[in-house]
Amino acid sequence: MRPSLALLRTTTFRLALAQAGIVLTFVVALLVYIYFATIGQLTADSDILADQEYAALERSYAEGGIRRLNQEVVERAAREGPLLYVLAESDGTVITGDFQQLPAVPGEGAEPAAAERIDFNFETTNADGAPQRGRARGQVGRLLGVGGPILLVARDLGDSSVISGRITRVLWTVAILGVFLSVASGLMASWLASRRVEALAHTARDVMAGDLKRRAPVRGEGDEFDELAEAMNAMLDRLERLMQVSRTAGDAIAHDLRSPLTRFRQKLESALDRPADSAADRDALQRALEEADSLLDMFAAVLRLARVESNPNWRLERVDASEALRELVEFYEPAAEDVGRTLRGHISDALVVRGEPGLFRQAVSNLIENALKYTLPGGHIEVHALRRPDGRVEISVLDDGPGISPPDRDRVLERFVRLESARSSPGAGLGLSLVAAVARLHNGGLHLRDGIGHGERRGLGAIFVLPAVQTAAVAR
Amino acid sequence: MRVLLVEDDADMAESLRSSLTADQHEVEIAGDGELGQSMALAGGYDVIVLDRMLPKKLGVSVVKELREQGVSTPVLILSALHDEDHRVEGLNAGANDYLGKPFSTRELLARVRALWHGRDRDVQTRLQVGDLEMDLLARTVKRGGKKLDLQPREFRLLEYLMRNAGQTVTRKMLLENVWDYHFDPQTNVIDVHISRLRSKIDRDFAQSLLHTVRGSGYRLEA
Repeated sequence: MRPSLALLRTTTFRLALAQAGIVLTFVVALLVYIYFATIGQLTADSDILADQEYAALERSYAEGGIRRLNQEVVERAAREGPLLYVLAESDGTVITGDFQQLPAVPGEGAEPAAAERIDFNFETTNADGAPQRGRARGQVGRLLGVGGPILLVARDLGDSSVISGRITRVLWTVAILGVFLSVASGLMASWLASRRVEALAHTARDVMAGDLKRRAPVRGEGDEFDELAEAMNAMLDRLERLMQVSRTAGDAIAHDLRSPLTRFRQKLESALDRPADSAADRDALQRALEEADSLLDMFAAVLRLARVESNPNWRLERVDASEALRELVEFYEPAAEDVGRTLRGHISDALVVRGEPGLFRQAVSNLIENALKYTLPGGHIEVHALRRPDGRVEISVLDDGPGISPPDRDRVLERFVRLESARSSPGAGLGLSLVAAVARLHNGGLHLRDGIGHGERRGLGAIFVLPAVQTAAVAR
Repeated sequence: MRVLLVEDDADMAESLRSSLTADQHEVEIAGDGELGQSMALAGGYDVIVLDRMLPKKLGVSVVKELREQGVSTPVLILSALHDEDHRVEGLNAGANDYLGKPFSTRELLARVRALWHGRDRDVQTRLQVGDLEMDLLARTVKRGGKKLDLQPREFRLLEYLMRNAGQTVTRKMLLENVWDYHFDPQTNVIDVHISRLRSKIDRDFAQSLLHTVRGSGYRLEA
């Protein structure tokens, strides 16, 4: 793309062109208005002036006859001024006045004093004898009706045409200048804008080419380009983080799959190496099957997490959290007792959340199973659920196990992170990540704190917060 | 029992056929949705096992059209997509059960048998297995004439086992049908619930009714 042509295609430049068009239209309209306002006004003024003169001369004729009129016309025509006079006989022969000829001869049948308005061009000589064209407007009529002398009084419009001509020229100059300035400022603006846009596009292309560390320049002017650049940078930060997470996840999953796959292979191989022995073979197959199941479980967990994180189309509905939580506590309570832990629920009534019923149950079940897995025999697990003052529903699963030290808490919410201390227990390290993903899906949150233990056994508290559904039934 | 297996993956179909045959079923295979539908229409099958993703016609459409055409043979849908949405969609289309891949062969065999035996179980109001009796209207359970005191959930667990008496039911089937949970607990929760139920119905009696089927699940049988 050649930059010179590219500039002409920019939005800013098109806007500038439109602006130039508007300036031009405005100037033309102004021109028309001024033209009519000035010329119209001058015409009206000269009409009044000519009418007054005509009436005055008419009176002179009435009082003093043709001699007096003739005298008056000669006197007035000699005066400096814009008014022009012609007195002619009834056949149109000029007696005296500013012209040698009448520009128009009024009709024979005209009533006395019923003068006609006329516009005409004329030619005179100026003081130096050079011919001069002019334009005039005035009254012409027969005094005394049929057979009377013809009188013409007109005003030379010469000066007013000069004024309007001057105004017209000025306005055209302004128009051309305006259009030129609009186009120039448009080019300037689009050049400035496209430079900023080009900088953003350049960043995007660099990132596409693989330089994930590139960021768009922010000028600190707080304008819309800075805003765009900041949004773009925030997006790039998040993308980079996600890339990193999926990269470490890939490494982690490869690492976690290696051991069970190796065991799987080794069991099958040793069974093949041994002499055929039905009982031992069956045992080896059974254990290989268990390894395969745990691998499949791990894949299922990875897929489930991916689905929660990537599918934006989950249908959220009203979930009776109180009932669902009581059922879950009831479901896990015997299993807890079986392994020497106590599980107790403290669930408020009428907690309703907006959520996906299956994921909600799965998330809470993950928290309970996590607590069961990491508490020691004789340990306690409590599930609390209540409505917070801000209306959200807070579900806490608290235990008195070893807990997680504060620096590690954020880390365990990431995918595949299993603390060294947990390496020996089963699981893919996805349980808490799934809960965190479910919380995000619901516009809620998950955070970890101390549980209900003391000292070394501080315990772990997983706090799962979800937006509530406000209903009349709940409000009552 | 005659089983129609509609599955386009030939390896998978062969492996399922050998398992089903070993479990005393007669199996016919259709490789795509259209063929499966016309074979099902021709009739003569006790259970239809239908893959969800099929060439020519999707499993869900096949079930839907079969039901519209008046075929009431129980259908089990197999799917790699074990989404709640897809499960509900399959069941709404008229399928009787939905099993997400990967599944164990035992799971599939148990469900195929349960489908066949469960055809008309909903109309019953009294269930009996040996000397164990359940009155679904009065919500009472007696064994040998002696009333047993069960929690509501234990009642539902026992009801499900009694409706499938003589059949192996898997932990997953219990989880889905008794609790309506569609996730896999990593703990032995179901076993603990079963052992509590067992202590109530079997402890004071000479004959055990609730049996553990190793590697598969449980069976209630006199």
